[in-house]
Amino acid sequence: MRPVFSAENISAGYGDVAIVRGVSVKVAESEIVAIVGPNGSGKSTLLKSFLGLVRLFQGSVFYQDEDISKITPDRAVSLGVGYVPQVNNVFPNLNISENLDMGAYHRKGKTSIKAGMAEIYEMFPELEARKSALAGNLSGGERQMLAIGRAMMAEPKVLLLDEPLASLSPKPASVIMSKLELIRKNRVAIMIVEQNVKKVLSISSRGYVLVNGACVMEGDADTLFAEESSQQRFLGLETKSIDS
Amino acid sequence: MTINWAQVLFNSVVTGSFYLIGAVGITLTYGLSNFPNFAHAELITSGAFIGYMVAEQLGLGIPVALVISFLCTGIVGLLCYRCIFQPLAKKGATIIHLMVASIALGFILRHSIGAVWSWEPLYFTSTWRAFTVGPLRVTWLWLGLIFAALSLATAMHFVLVKTKIGKAIRATSSNPELALASGINIDKVIWVTWFIGAGLAGIAGIFRGADTQIWPMTGWDAILPIFAVAVLGGIGNFYGAIAAAFIIGLAENIGVVGLTILGLSTTYRIGIAFLILIITLIVRPQGLAMLFRRT
Repeated sequence: MRPVFSAENISAGYGDVAIVRGVSVKVAESEIVAIVGPNGSGKSTLLKSFLGLVRLFQGSVFYQDEDISKITPDRAVSLGVGYVPQVNNVFPNLNISENLDMGAYHRKGKTSIKAGMAEIYEMFPELEARKSALAGNLSGGERQMLAIGRAMMAEPKVLLLDEPLASLSPKPASVIMSKLELIRKNRVAIMIVEQNVKKVLSISSRGYVLVNGACVMEGDADTLFAEESSQQRFLGLETKSIDS
Repeated sequence: MTINWAQVLFNSVVTGSFYLIGAVGITLTYGLSNFPNFAHAELITSGAFIGYMVAEQLGLGIPVALVISFLCTGIVGLLCYRCIFQPLAKKGATIIHLMVASIALGFILRHSIGAVWSWEPLYFTSTWRAFTVGPLRVTWLWLGLIFAALSLATAMHFVLVKTKIGKAIRATSSNPELALASGINIDKVIWVTWFIGAGLAGIAGIFRGADTQIWPMTGWDAILPIFAVAVLGGIGNFYGAIAAAFIIGLAENIGVVGLTILGLSTTYRIGIAFLILIITLIVRPQGLAMLFRRT
């Protein structure tokens, strides 16, 4: 299937230090792809590099065959690349509806924005009930819903999610997973960076394993999870032997 | 000695109104650009001189002077950001680099203003006839200043809460990276904020100049209490700045009463803002921000 979003031979990092080296990933329409790996393996840096939020040393990022490596993050979002950071993913001093409004910043027309907001409230009724509440006062689960809703307001064709299940108890985590499945069915491609390997691979079709900034394995989600050695890699165990 | 407390309160509102108009630009640009712009003082001075030129030398009157001063000072502030501070920030300049650059820029602007106009004090020829309302002695200038501050507070509240650019200013001030990831062109948001903030400094300059005198130090003489307002209100917090402006205005005017009772010079009033600034930084460095979380 033709990818809606792909990144080739990415090396990226902070200052002069490359955290990620030579990584290539892709995701197709209506597909969920997982990027897993131990703490500090460069997963979040990789995701940020797609949007130009960290320094891209080499490689190219493509959205619908267009090279978006050199465009600004706000332009990438307006094209159709949605991004949800792991932390600080809502504006705490804005209320829920204002946060959603900011997600629709480039959208034209009040009717279109209202319709978009109604769709988000339909997906996350919890948010509608508290739409005047400041985002800084929300629970972890509500905050994550709002963060995803904010990104969805931009009508993305690809959604990049950085650890959306982190610090969530089982119930809100299940809610988030079911909503991601719903978003996928609406023909949105989803790329998820996640520590919770079991959960994320259960909704993904494919996956990539990152260790020390390099992709050490990729393939079908079931195969990746079944393979004992890859499980060790996900958990950060025996990475020395893998590197060597 | 009999103290007219109604007059003290009224004077506090007048002082607070000036501080509010002067401090809005500082607090909003500090919140977005993450450095204290000391050249804000010279934007106040520029506004005073431009206002003098329009109202007195061109004879177009104070209302026209307010509009032209807002626009011209706004453009000067925007150019300062785009030509000096933005390139420095993109090169990785820290808060200290930017602060020192703003002091240097202020110095250059101040002496340029002195060279172009004059170091001798200038005065608006409009006479602000004082009249009494009950126990109060008031002038139309002071009433105009209070009206301007109230209008500013109302207009800025509307802009920040109801408009797209206002919400984007609050969002960018809170988390610039997330603002970018939401599709907000944060450069444009910052440019708009610098234009508005500098324009308001210009308006503050006209009121200051009309109430006292106009000379190249007009803004510098007022910048400390204005910074105190921004710090007490919580950097980047507009609503905090409103409260802080009137708290410092009140403290200063009560301080003047105290100094008078003690037989000391009222020029020491500036020390009261210093004191509030230092106490705020020690006791509650976040200022009143937690009380006004919307900005």
